[in-house]
Amino acid sequence: MTLVLESQLPLLIVMLALGTVAKVITVGSGGEPGSLSRLGPAVLMPGRLQAPALLVCAAGELVLATGLSLTTHPLFRWGTVAFFALSTYVLTELRRRRPDAGCGCFGEVSSAPVGLRSVGRTVALTGMAALSVWSPAPGWEAVLAPSWLTAAGLALLVALSPEVEELIDRVRYRAPCEQRRGPAESVTLARLRSSGTWRAHAGELASTEPYDSWRELCWRFFAFRNHDADDVVFAVYLSGRRPAVRMAVVSAADSGSLPEYTPVSA
Amino acid sequence: MGLSNVDRRRVLAAAALGRDTGPPGPDPGDGDPLRAVAGEVLDVSPHLITIETPGGAEERLVIAPWATAWHGADVAPADLPAGAMVLMRALRDGRVVERIWADTTRITGTILSVQGRKDLTVELDCGPHRGHRTVVVPYRSSGRLQVRHPKFEPGYLFDAIGVRRDGASHALLPATSQPPYPARSVPPPPPAYAGLQSRVAGTATWSDTFDEEERGAAYPMLERADTGCAEAGVSCAGLPYLSVGSLLQVRNVCANRSANVPVVACGCLAGRFCDRCVECDTSPRGRIAELSPSSYVELGGDLVKGCFNAQIGLG
Repeated sequence: MTLVLESQLPLLIVMLALGTVAKVITVGSGGEPGSLSRLGPAVLMPGRLQAPALLVCAAGELVLATGLSLTTHPLFRWGTVAFFALSTYVLTELRRRRPDAGCGCFGEVSSAPVGLRSVGRTVALTGMAALSVWSPAPGWEAVLAPSWLTAAGLALLVALSPEVEELIDRVRYRAPCEQRRGPAESVTLARLRSSGTWRAHAGELASTEPYDSWRELCWRFFAFRNHDADDVVFAVYLSGRRPAVRMAVVSAADSGSLPEYTPVSA
Repeated sequence: MGLSNVDRRRVLAAAALGRDTGPPGPDPGDGDPLRAVAGEVLDVSPHLITIETPGGAEERLVIAPWATAWHGADVAPADLPAGAMVLMRALRDGRVVERIWADTTRITGTILSVQGRKDLTVELDCGPHRGHRTVVVPYRSSGRLQVRHPKFEPGYLFDAIGVRRDGASHALLPATSQPPYPARSVPPPPPAYAGLQSRVAGTATWSDTFDEEERGAAYPMLERADTGCAEAGVSCAGLPYLSVGSLLQVRNVCANRSANVPVVACGCLAGRFCDRCVECDTSPRGRIAELSPSSYVELGGDLVKGCFNAQIGLG
């Protein structure tokens, strides 16, 4: 019987922790103005309070997840029940008042409009939380001893999560490289310096710091000067860990190109 | 960043990737090329206009019999006042003028404040590079402007065409239908699928924040770290990333003309507009380039209309 009571605790902890991480990432990277305006209960807040609202929600989830996993204190148990019951209410309210807004449960991944599945998921989670209230063991013990009931709960949650499809779609239909934000300049420079092309030509350069760097489509260019005051330009492809690197030497006076070296892939 | 540096980028990139650098300027296959001529009117008669160019030279141009002029309203070319700053569309190597815009200005920005009861004074934030600007909306044009700008309140976008008069900018015509969202909430681009789209369609507009006679464009999709512009890289048109110095092939779908235009500035404000151009057909959403007035006119655009349907490719 105790196995039944504590079987859903791992799922609750994982869901709460995932929710925290996803919300913090969304607020951190979502410096994009207005992107929060379509996410979750935060849309019911005025614009400048949206990011703090998401963060407060994330902090609450973190406290609950920690409490559930470390202690058996009823405060966290009942708190989780209240949290998911409240979420159910908020999501139905959101669905009624802002049908275009996503639930924001997992940050910007949950940007699809709130549907019956999202609401059903919070109902299921409320049930799971209620079941776990009388569990005799703290969460970490339940995590160490998962049961078939845990797997069944997981299957139920996956079936009720629209985010899973969204993630699959994102992997299948990734934006082309030239429309994605590229890695930071320093990362690309480090990739260039670990390439064979760089090792072959680094000796010719007057300085190992580029004097100019820019991105065009899926390439980042680094311009250096060599000892003859000619320009040495390296082009680094932006996707992949060991990207293609090309280089050319252009004499300072010449406005045309003088490709000395054919493409070299590292 | 000097101009030579920017031109150099194009040469270096072409050398590294083994591409050809296309020359900047209009496509020679478009028939009689248009030329934009800018200057200050010294004297004007029904058939001849004398201007002083920004370089200080005096130029005399023939006014075509069918030529029209705009100075807050359509006027006869001979009625233009001396001292007006004009931009002209000229044929035949820039000797024959067929369209004149006098003291024309375009006011694009985010509304910061609206004051006044009859004549409105609007303060705009024109983006991080262009600072703030104050414009006057005269009473007689305020109705016409507000019909296309239903959210006439701080935080929303504003785009109008007007004239410079006595040192102030007067907004007269709406340049677009105001986007219904606040300036900070640009909709995301439509989902993109892998594979390079060779051309992107949208609307091309102009801006008067370029130097006189400068040929170039401001482009919204620039990497933030490269430009030092924290608001770049926003667009609802699904544009590829380019850099200052890239050569953009802009095609005016309405006039069937194309030109290679260098990217010279960050078009962070243009990226906030998710509007359409209905100049000759309904364009897809999103401003894909903000051209300098000279480039815009040489591509066959009309300054008063404010936009043309455009396609871009990498030149």
